[in-house]
Amino acid sequence: MSDPYSADGELALIHNAFHQGQYQNVVDWDSSSFSSEYTLPAHLLQLRARLALHQYDEVASEAKGKSQPDYAAAAIAAEYFKKPSESSPALAKAEKLAESQGENMNVEILCGTVLASAGKVDEALALLAKHQGSLDVVAVIVQIELSRNRLDLAKKAATAARKWAQDNLLVNIAESWIGMREGGEKYQAAYYVFEELAQAEATQSVQSLTSQAISELHLGRLQESEAAFEQAQGLDADNADVLANLIVLNTIAGKDVAEQKKALQKSNPNHQLLLDLAEKKSEFDKAAERWTPKVKA
Amino acid sequence: MSAPTMLTKFESKSSRAKGIAFHPKRPWILVALHSSTIQLWDYRMGTLIDRFEEHDGPVRGVDFHKSQPMFVSGGDDYKIKVWNYNTKRCIFTLTGHLDYVRTVFFHHELPWILSSSDDQTIRIWNWQNRTLICTMTGHNHYVMCAQFHPKDDLVVSASLDQSVRVWDISGLRKKHSAPTSMSFEDQMARANSSQADVFGNTDAIVKFVLEGHDRAVNWVAFHPTLPLIVSAGDDRLVKLWRMSETKAWEVDTCRGHFQNVDACLFHPHQDLIISVGEDKTIRVWDLNKRTSVQSFKENDRFWVIAAHPEINLFAAGHDNGVMVFKLERERPASAISQNGKLYYITKEKHVRSYDFTANSESPSMVSLKKLGSPWVPPRTISHNPSENAILVTSPADGGSYELVHLPKDASGAVEPTDTKRGPGTSAVFVQRNRFAVFNSGHLQIDIRDLQNSVTKTISCPSGTTDISFAGHGTLLLITASSVILYDIQQKKRLAELAVNGVKYVVWTSDFSHAALLSKHNVTIVTRHLQQISTLHETIRIKSATWDDTGVLLYSTLNHIKYTLMNGDNGIICTQEQTSYLVKVKGWNVYCLDRHAKPKVLRIDPTEYRFKLALVKRNYEEMLNIIKTSKLVGQSIISYVQKKGYPEIALQFVQDPQTRFELALECGNLEVAVEMAKTLDRQQLWERLGAEALAQGNHQIVEMAYQKQRSFDKLSFLYLATGDRDKLNRMTKIAEHRGDMQSLFQNTIYLGDVEKRIEMLKEADQYALAYLAAKSNGLDEEAASILEAAGIEEDQVKLPTLGEPIVAPKAVVPVFRINWPTKGTGTSAFEKVLMGEAGDEDFAPAETYGEDNVDEPERVGGLDDEDDEGDVEGWDMGEDVDAEAESDFVNVEASEAGAGSSEADLWARNSPIAADHVAAGSLETAMQLLNRQVGAVNFKPIQWRFEEIYTASRTFLPATPGLPPLVNYVRRTVDETNTRKVLPLIPRDLESIIATEVTAGKTQMRTNKLDEGLKSYRRVLQLLMVNAVATANELDDAKKLIHSAGQYTLAISIELERRKLVSNQADISSLSEDTRKRALELSAYFTMPEMEAPHVTLALYAAMNFAYKSKQLSSALSFANSLIERGTNAKFKENAKKIKTTCERNPSDALEVEFDQFAEFEVCAASYTPIYSGSPSATCPFDGTKYQAKYKGTVCKICEVAEIGAPASGIRLLG
Repeated sequence: MSDPYSADGELALIHNAFHQGQYQNVVDWDSSSFSSEYTLPAHLLQLRARLALHQYDEVASEAKGKSQPDYAAAAIAAEYFKKPSESSPALAKAEKLAESQGENMNVEILCGTVLASAGKVDEALALLAKHQGSLDVVAVIVQIELSRNRLDLAKKAATAARKWAQDNLLVNIAESWIGMREGGEKYQAAYYVFEELAQAEATQSVQSLTSQAISELHLGRLQESEAAFEQAQGLDADNADVLANLIVLNTIAGKDVAEQKKALQKSNPNHQLLLDLAEKKSEFDKAAERWTPKVKA
Repeated sequence: MSAPTMLTKFESKSSRAKGIAFHPKRPWILVALHSSTIQLWDYRMGTLIDRFEEHDGPVRGVDFHKSQPMFVSGGDDYKIKVWNYNTKRCIFTLTGHLDYVRTVFFHHELPWILSSSDDQTIRIWNWQNRTLICTMTGHNHYVMCAQFHPKDDLVVSASLDQSVRVWDISGLRKKHSAPTSMSFEDQMARANSSQADVFGNTDAIVKFVLEGHDRAVNWVAFHPTLPLIVSAGDDRLVKLWRMSETKAWEVDTCRGHFQNVDACLFHPHQDLIISVGEDKTIRVWDLNKRTSVQSFKENDRFWVIAAHPEINLFAAGHDNGVMVFKLERERPASAISQNGKLYYITKEKHVRSYDFTANSESPSMVSLKKLGSPWVPPRTISHNPSENAILVTSPADGGSYELVHLPKDASGAVEPTDTKRGPGTSAVFVQRNRFAVFNSGHLQIDIRDLQNSVTKTISCPSGTTDISFAGHGTLLLITASSVILYDIQQKKRLAELAVNGVKYVVWTSDFSHAALLSKHNVTIVTRHLQQISTLHETIRIKSATWDDTGVLLYSTLNHIKYTLMNGDNGIICTQEQTSYLVKVKGWNVYCLDRHAKPKVLRIDPTEYRFKLALVKRNYEEMLNIIKTSKLVGQSIISYVQKKGYPEIALQFVQDPQTRFELALECGNLEVAVEMAKTLDRQQLWERLGAEALAQGNHQIVEMAYQKQRSFDKLSFLYLATGDRDKLNRMTKIAEHRGDMQSLFQNTIYLGDVEKRIEMLKEADQYALAYLAAKSNGLDEEAASILEAAGIEEDQVKLPTLGEPIVAPKAVVPVFRINWPTKGTGTSAFEKVLMGEAGDEDFAPAETYGEDNVDEPERVGGLDDEDDEGDVEGWDMGEDVDAEAESDFVNVEASEAGAGSSEADLWARNSPIAADHVAAGSLETAMQLLNRQVGAVNFKPIQWRFEEIYTASRTFLPATPGLPPLVNYVRRTVDETNTRKVLPLIPRDLESIIATEVTAGKTQMRTNKLDEGLKSYRRVLQLLMVNAVATANELDDAKKLIHSAGQYTLAISIELERRKLVSNQADISSLSEDTRKRALELSAYFTMPEMEAPHVTLALYAAMNFAYKSKQLSSALSFANSLIERGTNAKFKENAKKIKTTCERNPSDALEVEFDQFAEFEVCAASYTPIYSGSPSATCPFDGTKYQAKYKGTVCKICEVAEIGAPASGIRLLG
């Protein structure tokens, strides 16, 4: 079987579009063109794009009544991400599905994502490790390893993938994620990958522009970074990731960020940046109590 | 074949240049322009020295006189003018030609000028008596050029009549060199000579007529030594002629110009002919073979060419100006090999080496005669010690390289065998068995092995012009506007720096630094192309070499100079001839001269070694230099002093006056006293007294006052120190001097009533004497006074008497010893001088101390790090490959568990509080701040913590559904070693200065003090949690902390005053206490250290406030300060007015606690003065002073640190 995702495979374009962050394009893709054996994987990509666009109800209704485990996984993901919580009933379902259908790629990706976001990282990795040469899964593994600061394992996964997937876009992207952790010359390398995506009309997306801007920020090119963020905001003014990173950028530049914080609060009150800051605030208050002047004025 | 580019040294833009002349000695050329101007240029500096504008119409010919300060010109106004270039005037004009004058030349020894003209004549003039001495006729069309023979009595001329004529002028010389010795018979004989021309003129006769050009001949010239003539004509040919005593004939023709050839000449030293023409080319021909050697195509039609008589320089005039150029590079190709020897190519194109240890030159090893063109010297050489091979490049024929194996034993200039060659612009060895060849045409670098086969190809960025080896598998690519460090293995750019026109790159031997030389700049960069410094020279920089200690020596056209890495530079010596430096060793500079001969110059490196030692604080070295070098000039002293080391400068100086000044500057009273004694001048004692007083050394103060015979001050000093014996003596002295006032003063100080009464009686002040006696209860004495005055007691009406004043008694006999002073300390340098310096007695000790402070929380960190270093292995590069091979599907989870984040590393890697904040480790950050600056109240800097933390991480969106990937923003962008990465800290020093400090100053000036207070406090808080990159920045940051503290204090005082008086200017309605306090605050406002304009503001406010409140004495003193120190003319004007008013009645309505002469600081909590010596406490962060009772409270200025808390000092540098 030829690889449907390879450069000349039928799914190559929609797959690339998904990983370039062009989710709406994927949702709107004309799926009639796919031969019957690819209808399912293509539809699943569309469902995953909907998940990325937070269209959980649509996913649930489209997945309803379908027998394949892929759809079951999509339904679970929709249920979980609609209301993420450690007590979500979706978690148990995901674990169960992972056990019975662990060989299914979409189950690996979707349930793995659910488990990882619920903090069950080891379970997620165990599930993902079952994959049979899926780059999408490798990307998820790389991200999970990076988020738990295992740069070594992330690199291992990416290097292995590079051996059989060569110059696939997703490999490049995953390597760029790693590069952003490694720094030094890798920042520049990551920048080239992101910039190539972000500055070509066909592949541009909020995600690629944001990624480019972040790599520039790490390279210390603040003005260029700001320009890229502005470009991203031109596509989606309220994007939480863009706002969060803009807050970082403007803080570095010594600008006032109060307005942007408000906007982020509105767009996504649970954004990592806000959570981190709140945590540090309470940590600060607690730590500051330890010191008092000898004499109160 | 692509045309080689010319080695142009100078170009000027003007209208068409028709005549050119080089000055024989100075770097000058004269340019005669079609526009009627004659320009005098300094082609070395590229400056126009003068313009001479008296000709009417185009000027065609010019020539310098060999020894006199004059030149001659001829033009279309038929005139020949002789000028003095010193006085810049035309001395006289020779008229006689009847048409355009084409060329003018001086004779090499006789006072003659030769001119050619369109009137078909050639004329010879005597410029001493300004007469025409000979007219040569014969040409029957315009004469375009006529020149004297350099030795013989011959003239050669070229004409539009297609002929070249050679004239014999020996008759003219005879007639004019010995006119008196010529007998009448001789003259008759000459006159009747059959060779007389048609006018009967025998002075100049045609010797040969050379016919061969079949169009007009434009130019002709004699060979400097051989009997040869070269001519150029409109038939596009350059013809070579030969002559003997009796005949002349055409030798050969040089063909190649495709337009009129307008000028030609013989190369002064080499067997070459150079011609220029309207086909816009300069062509060089081989004199012996008459074949073309080189041809330079330019953009303008050429009209004239001239050669410098001595140096390898030519000038060509064209439609748009003049260009001065070299025909060949003088820079000898040379390279220092890794085996320590110099390899270079001589002018004969022989390869030789030079051994620096033996100071000996090897015999020629091979001859490179066959390389490139015979007339073009090789450009570069690169030596490979392991193969004993050289790689040579030549620019000829579009550039080529040749790999030559050197013979084992040098046996002379043999032809090399088994060479490898190919086309290329430049070529260098990059490894033992690889070399890189750059081809500018294809913008490509080939890496070749020693068999000359390509192993790798690299394409260069466009604009690359040259490459240079940059150590260990890297190359430096040079473009017109940048240099790029390129990794050959990885085929990628490592770094890039924008720097214009780099021509040569000189690396230190360990490749840690490089000097990039361009025409006029030296840029020093690190291995990673970080620019360290750059310097500009007005004249051309020729070469450079590094001293082992990191000092760069470089040569310009006429100097050898040095520069330290920090850009501090100076001249080592001047030299007449340019030399190309290759190495410095001790006092020897090795160089190659213009003729590629190795030379050793002795230099004196004392100056730069000293500066270097100063920069590195290597005091022992400095001392050593001072001890061993004889000459330490005034410049070094002022240099050291300027750099802020007066105590070091002091060690050099002998001159007592300077020693005194320096001693005062560094507070060394001992030396100052010694010098003051030597010089014994009033003024010096006065200044010494002031300094000693400031230091509290009252014994020296006493001496200074004694020397000044300043009795009042002495008495007061004794009073202050409680030295009654001395006071008694002062009384005696006063008596002796008959100074009643002084006596009175001393008796008061002593509380000696009897003496006072006696003195008053003596001064016939019986009333006062009586009063004194009465008030002190000396009734008997009182009675006797009355008696003496002849007055009854009831006649005296006494005021109410209070308690008699009792003179204070000394509690502690402080006069015996000096007041305890803070040790001015012996500088590290002085310690060395005294020989007490231990090995580690210096500055580092301090740093150790700080490290200890940080120890506790680092210990834990270190352990962790070690564990992970082994177990987790961040440097897993190789392992990854090995395991990945096995099975891609199963990424082993053997080493499960989460890792530690980069933020954790930051905290481990740095002792800087800001880095801990960025790492999110707030508690350790607070611990650090508490230890370093005594911080206890963190609330006010919470915003700063949040800012730093926010700036430390970005959120990269990745897989949908998973939280974004957190990445950590580094300030060490290029660093990948996890033990060295550090976070970016927002708001660096530069941005603080640009934003808050600027705002603060503006707010200060525009009287927005509330905001100003906020700005300066913000500066303090920003700096408290921050990081800097260099020691210099650290100094600046510390200075800024101090100054922001002072501003905050000043503004607080003023705001307090405004609050007190509710912002009113008129305070007469307020209570006396309030008024007094307001006046004090207004005075204190002038005390903190601020910039002059702000002190001016404070003084102005205080002056006006005092004046309005009838404090005329205070107002006067502020007015005086304002006049003396103020920066605002209008304020000064007002101050002068107030001064005049106040001087009439200088008294204060209220007594306020402000003594402008006293040394005090203002407490930042109570706003009361803290006199020097009285107890106080200090904020460990900003250094603000407080009354002792505030110790332990939070500083009012920074609002964070605890006053008087123990602290190790702020740490901003890792």
